[in-house]
Amino acid sequence: MTEQVTTMTRPLGLVVDPSPVLATRRAIHDTTSVLWRDTIRTLRQPDMLAFAVVMGVFFLVLFNYVFGGSIGAGANIDYLTYLVPGVLVITALQGAQQTSMGLAADLTEGVIDRFKSLPMSQGAVIAGRTLADALRNVVSLTLVCLVAIPMGYRFSSVSGAVAAILLATALGFGVSWMGAAIAARVRRPDAVGMLSMFWLFPMMLASTAFAPAETMPGWLQPFVRYQPVSTASDAVRGLANGTGAGDAILLTLGWLALLLVVFIPLSVSLYRKDV
Amino acid sequence: MTMHDVVEVPRDPVVEARGLTKSFGDVRAVMDVSFTVGAGQIVGVLGPNGAGKTTTIKMLTTLVSIDAGSAGVGGYDVGHQPDVVRQLIGVAGQAAAVDEKLTARENLELFGRLYKLPRAQRRGRTETLIRQFDMAEFADRPAETYSGGQRRRLDVVAALVADPPALFLDEPTAGLDPRSRSELWNAIRGLADQGTAIVLTTQYLEEADQLADHILLIDHGRIVAQGTPAELKKDVERDVLEIRLLDTAAIDTAVDTAIEAIGADVEMAVDRRERKLSIPVGADPARSLTLLTHMRDTGIPISDFQLRRPTLDDVFLALTGARESEPTDGAPVPGPPRRRNRP
Repeated sequence: MTEQVTTMTRPLGLVVDPSPVLATRRAIHDTTSVLWRDTIRTLRQPDMLAFAVVMGVFFLVLFNYVFGGSIGAGANIDYLTYLVPGVLVITALQGAQQTSMGLAADLTEGVIDRFKSLPMSQGAVIAGRTLADALRNVVSLTLVCLVAIPMGYRFSSVSGAVAAILLATALGFGVSWMGAAIAARVRRPDAVGMLSMFWLFPMMLASTAFAPAETMPGWLQPFVRYQPVSTASDAVRGLANGTGAGDAILLTLGWLALLLVVFIPLSVSLYRKDV
Repeated sequence: MTMHDVVEVPRDPVVEARGLTKSFGDVRAVMDVSFTVGAGQIVGVLGPNGAGKTTTIKMLTTLVSIDAGSAGVGGYDVGHQPDVVRQLIGVAGQAAAVDEKLTARENLELFGRLYKLPRAQRRGRTETLIRQFDMAEFADRPAETYSGGQRRRLDVVAALVADPPALFLDEPTAGLDPRSRSELWNAIRGLADQGTAIVLTTQYLEEADQLADHILLIDHGRIVAQGTPAELKKDVERDVLEIRLLDTAAIDTAVDTAIEAIGADVEMAVDRRERKLSIPVGADPARSLTLLTHMRDTGIPISDFQLRRPTLDDVFLALTGARESEPTDGAPVPGPPRRRNRP
């Protein structure tokens, strides 16, 4: 067609300077769309879910039957009661590591360029992913609980169990934004995998998830007591066992807020950068 | 509930690039590229691998930042209002792919949602596109299981979900068999006929020749020539006389004879292994006649000759400085000085 068209109508209309309300509505719409996409992908690749559950069960069985005798006797506690809430937090942390690895793999795929060319909130790609991983965490934590019960563990109440799973998942959600920022910066899935060892293992093992801080050397105790995995383990333990943990819950929510405030803007700006 | 609040009308030209420039480190990927695309027009960006085609597309589609120059789509600035520009464009090909784990239907649903198409419109559009591009057979399988042709089709269709006024196709037919290619060509022509402004990159001269109203030839990030396919061919303004000799030994004599007949100011290609001279003879048939007559009179044994009309290949090779037939024995071509055709 050689005829020159001087105007054209677009049935959808254009959003030029959206009001904050409209912009927010569009961002939420985008996030739920990406969440839908990532949930389909999770269901189509159940190996990630299986891996998280197997790791959780692995820690449960290994620590309870191998180290449980000595840690329990040394600290004079019923070790299974101590361990299960810690393993819930550790499982959620593994889920956050999977966000990092998964997003790094995602960023190597061409569909990310398509997302960048679409009229969508650019943070939605990561937000959808972290939310989908949080949903997956709820499932994997529930499955870990179902293994703990035949081992002899008892929650103090159903509401305590639900609150414990949700709080562990919430911390995992916060840490997954950190994982997302690392992935958006590094972008190579293999390098992201190696790097995750450096934050995952210290956070996981130098914590009160598996053993009380009292049994550790004094110089290590301040870090161990107040790092997020410990405050979350203490809080989840209080909720699951009905022993109360007001301060630990507040500290954990504080860590969650800090992780979100730092890593949401950081990961989104790193994601938008040219490569 | 609507996701849109303002209705605006993009103006013509739909796409405008003004002095686009981009470097990656020390590498100048694109230098000072300017062009416009009107509604219903197809602009072909033609160039070899690494010429800067994909980078140009990526700048126009907000995928990479613009170092210098500017670009507009529908009158909106790509650098300053990328969120508006993204509502007006569709991108396909090397520059943007689909989700491998999702089916075609799910991919189109996802992109429809992200373009904020209302649900009913989204569903209808997805079904129409699947039918129109003959994708029903594989629309419910994950994209990672597709053949090359099926993948390319989904790539292009994904760019059409919101029926955008500006479409960017980055080597859309790379790796397609001839039948799929010509089907896709028809589809692209159809979109232009409906008023879509299309920027299409390609390495295939034939593709640019077939589809584009206007061709930009780019090499090393710069536009080295532009015009309609006919203008570009006319630019070369020469037919090429190809003479094959019976005998390798006669080549040097033949070259001398040719220079005697039509002058030294000719860029002649000599292929010793093929015993072939390719001599530009301009648009004047008498020149070929003079040359052939002179060769016969000198007693040069000719096995075969043909007069070749210029193709876009000739334009391309002349302007990108590539040689069509290097002397295969590595010896310098004797005789005629080389005339560089670069502007």
